[in-house]
Amino acid sequence: MSFSIVVCGSIVPDPLQTLEPVMGPNGPALKNEIMLPAVLDPWAAHALFEAAHLAAESPGSRVWLVSLAPKAKLQQVMMTMAQKAPFELLALDGPASGFSDSAETASALADAVAGIAGLDRSRLLLFGGWESASRGACSTLQGVGERLGIGEQFFGVDTLTVHPDGSLEILERVEGGRHQVSVCAGPPAVLGWATGNLPEPRNHPQTGMANMRQILPALQRATAARLPGTGLCYQSVTPPQQMRQTRIVKNLPPEEVAREIVAWITGD
Amino acid sequence: MSDLEVDLVCVGFGPATAGFLTTLSQTPGLESRVAPGMPLQVICYERAEDISFGVSGLVTRGRGIRASLPDLDPTAIPLATPVTHEKLVYLADPIGASRRGPALRHIDRWLRSVDLAREWAFELPYTPPFLRKHGGLVMSLGQFLQHVGGSLMASGTVQIWPAMPVAEAVLEDGLVRGVRLTDQGVDRRGQPEAGYLPGLEVRALLTVVGDGPVGAVGRQLEAAFPWPEGQRQKEWALGMKMVAELPDDVDLAAGTVIHTLGFPEPEIFGFFYVHPGRVATAGIFVPSWFLSPVRTAYRYLQHFLMHPYLWRYLERARLRSWGAKSLRESGRRGEPVLVGEGFARIGEGSGSTNALTGSGVDEAWTTGVQLAEAVTALLRDGAPLDRAHLETAYLERRRGSWVDREAHIAERARDGFHRGFFPGLIGMALAGLTQGRIAIPGEPRPMPSTIDARGWPAIPYDGRILLSHQDALLLGGKVQAPPGYADHVRFLDASVCARCGTHLCVEMCSGQAITANGDGVPAFDREKCVHCGACLWNCEAHNLVFQAGAGGLHSSEN
Amino acid sequence: MERVLFLAHTEPDGRLGKAALETLPAALALGGETVIGLVGPSTAPAADQIAACGAVRFLAVEGAEFAVSRYATDRQAVEALCRESAATLILAPHSSRWVRALPGVSARLNGRVDTHATAISVVNEVPAVTRWFYRQRMEGVLTRAQRPWFVLLEPGCHPAWTGPGGCAALELLRVEPATRTIVTGLRASQAGEQTIRPDAPLLFVAGAGWTKKQADGVAHVEEAERLILDMLRASGASLGGSKSLVDLSGEGQAVLACMTHLNQIGQTGSTPRHPKGLSTCCHGEEPHVVGWRFITERRAINLDPNCGWARGKADVLYVADAFAVVREVNRLLEPRP
Repeated sequence: MSFSIVVCGSIVPDPLQTLEPVMGPNGPALKNEIMLPAVLDPWAAHALFEAAHLAAESPGSRVWLVSLAPKAKLQQVMMTMAQKAPFELLALDGPASGFSDSAETASALADAVAGIAGLDRSRLLLFGGWESASRGACSTLQGVGERLGIGEQFFGVDTLTVHPDGSLEILERVEGGRHQVSVCAGPPAVLGWATGNLPEPRNHPQTGMANMRQILPALQRATAARLPGTGLCYQSVTPPQQMRQTRIVKNLPPEEVAREIVAWITGD
Repeated sequence: MSDLEVDLVCVGFGPATAGFLTTLSQTPGLESRVAPGMPLQVICYERAEDISFGVSGLVTRGRGIRASLPDLDPTAIPLATPVTHEKLVYLADPIGASRRGPALRHIDRWLRSVDLAREWAFELPYTPPFLRKHGGLVMSLGQFLQHVGGSLMASGTVQIWPAMPVAEAVLEDGLVRGVRLTDQGVDRRGQPEAGYLPGLEVRALLTVVGDGPVGAVGRQLEAAFPWPEGQRQKEWALGMKMVAELPDDVDLAAGTVIHTLGFPEPEIFGFFYVHPGRVATAGIFVPSWFLSPVRTAYRYLQHFLMHPYLWRYLERARLRSWGAKSLRESGRRGEPVLVGEGFARIGEGSGSTNALTGSGVDEAWTTGVQLAEAVTALLRDGAPLDRAHLETAYLERRRGSWVDREAHIAERARDGFHRGFFPGLIGMALAGLTQGRIAIPGEPRPMPSTIDARGWPAIPYDGRILLSHQDALLLGGKVQAPPGYADHVRFLDASVCARCGTHLCVEMCSGQAITANGDGVPAFDREKCVHCGACLWNCEAHNLVFQAGAGGLHSSEN
Repeated sequence: MERVLFLAHTEPDGRLGKAALETLPAALALGGETVIGLVGPSTAPAADQIAACGAVRFLAVEGAEFAVSRYATDRQAVEALCRESAATLILAPHSSRWVRALPGVSARLNGRVDTHATAISVVNEVPAVTRWFYRQRMEGVLTRAQRPWFVLLEPGCHPAWTGPGGCAALELLRVEPATRTIVTGLRASQAGEQTIRPDAPLLFVAGAGWTKKQADGVAHVEEAERLILDMLRASGASLGGSKSLVDLSGEGQAVLACMTHLNQIGQTGSTPRHPKGLSTCCHGEEPHVVGWRFITERRAINLDPNCGWARGKADVLYVADAFAVVREVNRLLEPRP
């Protein structure tokens, strides 16, 4: 039982970087974005690892990564990601900004997916992160799925199990730290992943070298994707005012500290 | 049986390897010897998570870099700018806690009394020629390497793999056959656990070792092949720097370069460069012959920033980045075996850094260029890449170059400092001005036990530029480490640590990754290590192993 | 003038939950004509609950198929409601159920969607939505020209509707959904106790310091676990962790069995909303603290007076031993016999 797994994911600044917004003529952007080291969005990366894992267990499967991002930065990210899992890259050269419109992003991604030669739509699993670390919306994959005519969609996915009859058991995160269990008859389906349960794969030099044979040409062939943000207007983007006047309490016996804390907890 | 076979494997992607690969990529039509019919198979492994995480306080005359990249446009590289102003400044001590002797204190008082030291600093009217960087560039090493690396990758002539530490060179009967990569999926002690992946062996006709001043492969080769007669790498320094955003009302031109001496201690040289976009780099070098624990390098850096001469620019600045690295200060005298069967060494690990001019990046780059020219010549001639041929092709180029000429001048330039500040200064000036013919001799004194910094006031943290050490690590260096790797710093004999009264390794760890653990072996936290290597050269008992590890700094602005 | 559709899925008892009751007044305040749209197995109780809200129509899609949280059926139900109401602005509470389906409806109607909104307001007849970007690192206010515009409002951002009930004239839309998915149930986390409580008044964060060696040179992980669980029980708090503590469990270290990666706050973890948060044995590093964006009052217990909490990240930092303090807090909070 094989699958055609297309993972949609873009790049985000490496998690520990300090981010600041700036307003430009084209709307808001990150200050010095070009200098910030980037990684593949963490949830999209989990989706990619899950895709590779599923493909390894389902002979005949193929995995694509469709990524809309500035070409040069995508190349940097590929230097690490390409070592993690086998996949084919379909690159779109455009902004990876969290301020871009998810509908426009979805449209560009859907067109790219629809254009993949040899894609078996009946075995298509469209993966991605449920949200991104940039826009953080959980609204793009639905748009890609709908444009591709996929009516079964799941988000906050942590586990996918393929049953012998080909049905897909899927666990999605819901409120209160629990998972909802669903069974979908089979592909096509959209899965927006949370973190899943797989550890991050090790760096495989041979995987990297094999991947690069396809990735470098794919980057060179990357078509431009414009996201004009039509009709979307940002009135302001501001970092939060986060300095509080911290009262530092020293030399108070634990019993006194506890009393103060209890009064605070039980107070209104 | 190896897992992978290539023509050339490079260890480390720093300025030396960047110079090597750039030159190689500019030479079309080189055919592979391991895979005839294919282009030359070149691969480079870098242990840091990204090639942009290099550290340097970078102001360079850029002779080698410009020769390789004549169309280099500084405006195309973030944080790069031509040098516009240059100053050498003596910083007096406004606090009174530094260890300067009575003569220097007297000079400080006199300078103040005749109003020659406004802001407690005396701008020397003369910058000696060997220090001058005019016509050069102020850059961020990380951004420069990203720029060069991106072009190299796009050219398709080489594959550069970050996040891939090299464990060791594969040595067989005195021949280097290639390298072995680090094991993954192991616990702290190196024992296999979930997802165990033993390190791949990569065979190559030539292993190009550009892994820097504390690189594991370089040091493995130094242990395997005896040092040439009279050569030894003895002097070190720890360079530590911050990149800061200047306040809006500070009016400093991009390309301003200030070299300092005298504060926070007479032995500590400092630097302050201004990048475009109101960004400045400020840092210090704490040398191994400085008789005080180097961990307070961070603390000294903070006092340096707060010196009135600099504080007038930095007071409301905000930290953007932070980093630290070791420097091989022995230079030419610390040059190890440069070529052997199956290997060649380039860059700072090969002794190219010049402690007199205070520069290393362009020198490293140029040694990389020299090796690449040698290799391409040998490949074109169908000659073997063996020691004899490399000695001729590479060493001749290196010996005949400005890198070597200037390295000779620098050889004894700083020895005077072993006798004291004034002999050191005079010695440096003499060496520089007489082209190395005259120098003041001196031998490094043995490392003493820890001395508490006396009288240095507490740092008034402001949450912007004056931060706790850990905050600088996280907010500045963005230090992280991926799981699944063994600790790359290990202590060999617990009893040696138990007997050690000083635990200098704890005192001078740049990231506070090494901490005291009762009376026993210090604890090591990989997630805080910035791979500066200071622990390596501060353990007098040589009881410490420092290997190539994954992770570390995650800032591309240093 | 906008035509606003307020969308809510009903609870098992047919009524509206807290998040929906908070979103309703936000919808009403937009000043346009408001239509109510309900989805669930039974919807009349919900409609009656808000009958007096001033909406011009009460629409519903009802049936057993709509009792579960499922993309295909929710998407079809909501699409029918949107088309019938001809709404230009659709406001719904942000829930796992709605964030799954509503963006799909938006795509089909060639509309636009903004999720995780923390506010919606109207200035000069132009609606503007506030939401966070880059993992709560910056707050943006945006307007859109395209319609229909779907906005999902975060719970805890608006006071709940408290108007009287009544009898609503409910119009049921007939929707016969097609789907290939069956929802079989819910599964709780593997950990023994359910430690994530979104509605808790207090977030209790345990940092890596709980598992490190204490003053006596020994780690006291079992005692740490016991103290933490007792604290959760006694205070009803929700448990959060720092990335370093959560990662330790991945490396086979002595860890707290009650902690999984679902508890992680900040970084790739969650950013929960609670009125109060108490951090213990945690350094207060920035990437973790961004997860505290929606914690209103913050206090911390840490033996290090120079930890991150000390400078502007917490309201109060107690430089004290968390083991001793929490032991005493638990004792004080336990109900007296």
